[in-house]
Amino acid sequence: MILKNSMRMKSSAVTFGALLLAPWFVFAQSPQQQAAPSSGPAPAAAARKPATGGGIQYETSFAAIASGKWTGKRLADGQPDVSGDWSNTIANHNNFTDPQGGIPGDPQTRNRTLGPRESRAPSRVSDPVDGQLPYQDWARAKQQEFAAGFFNAVKPEYIEPLARCAPAGIPKSLYWHGYEIRQYPGYVLFLFGSGWRIIRLADTSHLPEHIKLWNGDSLGHWEGNTLVVDVSNLNSKARFGRTGDFASENVHVEERYIFSADNKRYNYVATFTDPTVYTRPFTVTIPARRWTLDDPKNEWHFPVEAANNPGKERIADHFERICVENNGGFGQTVAQPSGETKPN
Amino acid sequence: MKSRQKLVRWLGSGVVAALAASLLITSASGAGRTASTTGRIPRLSNGKPDFSGIWQTTSAADYDLEPHSARKDAPPGQGIVAGGQIPYTPAALEKKQKNFAARNTADPRLKCWTLGTPRGIYYPEPFQIFQRAQDLTLVFEFGDTVRTIHADGTLHPVDTDHEFWLGDSRAHWEGDTLVVDVRDFNDQTWLSRAGDFHDEALHVVERWRLIDANTIDYQATLEDPAVYSRPWNIEVYLYRHREPGFRLIENYCYTLDYDQFYPVPRS
Repeated sequence: MILKNSMRMKSSAVTFGALLLAPWFVFAQSPQQQAAPSSGPAPAAAARKPATGGGIQYETSFAAIASGKWTGKRLADGQPDVSGDWSNTIANHNNFTDPQGGIPGDPQTRNRTLGPRESRAPSRVSDPVDGQLPYQDWARAKQQEFAAGFFNAVKPEYIEPLARCAPAGIPKSLYWHGYEIRQYPGYVLFLFGSGWRIIRLADTSHLPEHIKLWNGDSLGHWEGNTLVVDVSNLNSKARFGRTGDFASENVHVEERYIFSADNKRYNYVATFTDPTVYTRPFTVTIPARRWTLDDPKNEWHFPVEAANNPGKERIADHFERICVENNGGFGQTVAQPSGETKPN
Repeated sequence: MKSRQKLVRWLGSGVVAALAASLLITSASGAGRTASTTGRIPRLSNGKPDFSGIWQTTSAADYDLEPHSARKDAPPGQGIVAGGQIPYTPAALEKKQKNFAARNTADPRLKCWTLGTPRGIYYPEPFQIFQRAQDLTLVFEFGDTVRTIHADGTLHPVDTDHEFWLGDSRAHWEGDTLVVDVRDFNDQTWLSRAGDFHDEALHVVERWRLIDANTIDYQATLEDPAVYSRPWNIEVYLYRHREPGFRLIENYCYTLDYDQFYPVPRS
């Protein structure tokens, strides 16, 4: 499946609409769905290749970026100009705390042997230092239930909402497909494959707390090279990944997007505070790199085409981002209502 | 794909340029009845009108584009079609009437599908325009919909078989009017709750103009030879939301159907 096309066309939205009425149809997807790039981890050896734009996961380590002054180009309104296309450098949402470790319990070996933990990228949880989410006991049990249900979705809630085209939410949007940042006086706009975020720079008040949203309500400001964003109003229905990690609607996120001096990388360092689910705040770190038309074609990280601009500047065209590709319980083996088990 | 091939043939025949010219004339005559720009309008640093802001129609256009009296499911409206009626071909009119009869179940809006172009513009929920010199980004509150209008001189993609929900939008300026050529649609969207429709050959030419700092005069010419006997025009005003603190609230309404399956876990 090619993301570009699926993002443009909602042809299978007919199926999607039907399955809203009959949730079990969600599982009746073709085997080809498994060929989607998001489920195609590269062999471990490939993970050590330099960042030339190959697979989703290619970097096993990355450098910290210090907060400080911004010396790069600025927009007319004074914001650091970080507009353009970005994507994470580690892996997709298969596994939150062992990003290159595959989906736990995956019945398919995918021709891959995992080496020692140290050979793979670190946990996205950078604090606590053990890399584990500091769940309360009941919440850990619930996460493990979700994780176990991922390959045996006997309840609708075991289907990751993203698989039904729901917005990926926070933080998962940042390690789903590549995405675009556009900037305007007073705003930073994130355009994801599934959903958008409007970060308001000239506002200091959140929406009323009873309004709950997939991508929350974001207030931001710049501190030197760092975009600081305060996120509340999350509905917390989006999971962090296929490992079932979650927060509650009481979660509060303080995000710091720290951009490198050469404007080619940023690290997302965010503190999640959610006393309903966790025993203490924790920090999530996600590295990202810029993508341009000088990079090799990559429809996962950089779903664009060169614009039709004969004889003039090369410009990346972003076609409409309308989700269809995840309308199924993709990657899963699911019990059918008849009791029959069918891979899809 | 028949209609697609038809369009390609049509393009190849070179008829389209002549037609486009005639559309502009039609559209310009339609513009004659609108007020001229009054007062100062916001502008970008390059001098072009700045459409940035949150906009919404107050019209009943989404209920029915044509003049209509009140119905149980629609407030009355004078319509926004120049001349009153959409010039459907006889076969298309029959289909429209079937759509109308089934409107309370068959309207794609009810499934929260992307509204398309131009319906998203006069749908009664706000949308926000973000504008740079090279493009305008329209973020619609309804659904997961973001439309980019390219104003950087780039042309429609060479491959015209994308069948976008929103069409492919390429714009140029005629004075203070942003003229947007939109084509390459799929046939999945309706134009109103009354069952007005199009097929893949739909071609829309929009004209966006600020008539004062807080009002956009939005005009569009729609042509689709498989459905309409001639091009036709609509015109609707869009008003800026000026309420203090007004902001867009995401409405991924297609998620509401499965919302029940995702209770936030509790201890």
